[in-house]
Amino acid sequence: MRKFWWKYLGAAILVYVILAGMLIPLKPGVLEISPSTAQAAQTMTFTVEGYNTNYDKASSSIRAWLRSDDDHGLTASEITVVDYNTLNVTFNIPKWLPYESKVKYFSLILDNEIDGASVLPSAVSLTQEVPNLARAKALWPQGNIKDLHTNEVISFPYRNILYETIRNLYFHVSLWLAMMILFIVSVFYSIKYLRTFNKDFDDKALALTSSGLMFGILGLITGSIWAKHTWGTYWTWQEIKLNMTAVAMLIYAAYFILRSSMEDSERKSRISSVYNIFAFAALIPLLYVIPRLTSSLHPGNGGNPTFGSEDLDNTMRMVFYPAVIGFTLLGLWISTLIYRIEKIKDKLYDRV
Amino acid sequence: MKKSTLLLFFLQLILVFPLSAQSDNPDFFRSIGKIYVVVAVIMAVFLGILLFLIYLDRKVTKLENQIKENE
Repeated sequence: MRKFWWKYLGAAILVYVILAGMLIPLKPGVLEISPSTAQAAQTMTFTVEGYNTNYDKASSSIRAWLRSDDDHGLTASEITVVDYNTLNVTFNIPKWLPYESKVKYFSLILDNEIDGASVLPSAVSLTQEVPNLARAKALWPQGNIKDLHTNEVISFPYRNILYETIRNLYFHVSLWLAMMILFIVSVFYSIKYLRTFNKDFDDKALALTSSGLMFGILGLITGSIWAKHTWGTYWTWQEIKLNMTAVAMLIYAAYFILRSSMEDSERKSRISSVYNIFAFAALIPLLYVIPRLTSSLHPGNGGNPTFGSEDLDNTMRMVFYPAVIGFTLLGLWISTLIYRIEKIKDKLYDRV
Repeated sequence: MKKSTLLLFFLQLILVFPLSAQSDNPDFFRSIGKIYVVVAVIMAVFLGILLFLIYLDRKVTKLENQIKENE
């Protein structure tokens, strides 16, 4: 039992990941505002729907602004609390907007002492008759959105469209990183086999590739479910990363077809070891180079490093990194099972 | 029940569960901040690993039978 401590460690980490990943709440945010269009030079009352908010408890400290891209803010003239997640916000919209164009989107910013500040980007589109930038600047003061509260509660970031599915980071992205680690170790053993021609190393490479491919296929399935509810489709051929990973998974699936197509044990081991190295060499550009050359729906693609501070805050790191370690250990555990099965097979069929 | 039918059953669970739940109520997966999407993803991971265990189980059974034959 002491020898296999890492298996139990892996299981314990995954239990922590599921508990922390599901129980830590989302930061308060703004779900919706209605109506989402208005004319200049009128008094307009909007109904704002919040998420995880405490408007009823913090009613005295609620403030609201409509904000332009270059930080011109219009303060709400009246705010009434309906219940814990519904507000009626009234704005006296001036005749002129701080833009030359007739129609422009403005963000809604809400702040109160319990929930902290939250933003709904491009919340309301306002229409003006005759633009007059000079007079608008006085009516939309710059830099009046200040003294915002921060939320100190341990929580995950609130993102529109994503909402709670931001938790999928621990159950989708970590699978891919675990797969990558398993494939790297697998290539290491394939090289070792080609140097020594010891069948043990080839068995290890096979075991690691099997569990790695399992994680890869699970990554595709979980990503597909996630995509359906955030991008609106299970699979899109326009998204380069989906296509490239599908190709990479097919290349790795061919590894097993190649193995089963050969009778002679030594030939099988040699050719599949060489194939494994080439498959890995193809995997790196397919997953990490090509998707970054073009635009992609995946965060961090199209030139940026994968995890920017925008997408992953410190609370998420506390769950995400253990998730990667946990899934890797689980994959190694499954690999040892396959390895032991292969060893018994070798003995049974007198393969060396 | 044959093992292949069992396999098919779990495969159906993975593929059809998100679809069928959605057809009953189009807003089910989008309710409560889309939390059921996370539940579906965790279920998919769990069922995937379960399927893989069943596959390994069959492999071991085959070996056991082979050893029995040899004796």
